[in-house]
Amino acid sequence: MMQGSISNRIRTLRFMNGEMSQAELGQRIGLTRQTIAAIEAGKYSPSLEAAFRIAQVFNVPLGEVFQWDVKATPLKAS
Amino acid sequence: MSYREKIAWLSLIAMAVAYGPYFMFVARGPGPWEPLPHLHPLGLFALVSIVRMLILGAGYLYLRLGSPREERPPLDERDRAIEHRSLSAAYYVLIAGMILVGCLMPFSSTGWTIVNAAIFWIVAAEVVHYGVVVASYRVQASS
Repeated sequence: MMQGSISNRIRTLRFMNGEMSQAELGQRIGLTRQTIAAIEAGKYSPSLEAAFRIAQVFNVPLGEVFQWDVKATPLKAS
Repeated sequence: MSYREKIAWLSLIAMAVAYGPYFMFVARGPGPWEPLPHLHPLGLFALVSIVRMLILGAGYLYLRLGSPREERPPLDERDRAIEHRSLSAAYYVLIAGMILVGCLMPFSSTGWTIVNAAIFWIVAAEVVHYGVVVASYRVQASS
């Protein structure tokens, strides 16, 4: 299986949108401030729907908010 | 700490304060001074239940009055995911306990021993439920 992790640019996008607070972002997409903080810190992966909502708030494509960082896996010797 | 995590802590504390002494008391078995063997444990269990309800009631009131409305938002998808995970874990504990109590204990024990074992596993399942809730919020807390 391909190994990787999800990273995000929510903190940067909040800053670029007038230093939007976590509470305000959460309110606009129906999540709590704590959940936004957990997503930002990479400790909780949101549902696809919530991810699209976040992208919609910042008016950017989903790929600009969340990125899939592939980890290099060593090749098995045959 | 979020409002829901505080509620989970409160439930754990109420459980520990009420049922901890109860199980320590019943573990020593019935004393020779008890002429009505069913009355004593029944009364004790009623007392423990009342104590737990009082702690929960006072705690809920304190937390509600101490938290403004915006700190008590409705459940979101992360809260629901945590609730789902914690209930799943508690379910397995409860099922394991009930198999032990309902299928194995009747061959070796009787009466209040079985009743208390059933109460123990219900309490254990509740502890796992709230324990997983607290642990999940702690792990996902950003700072």
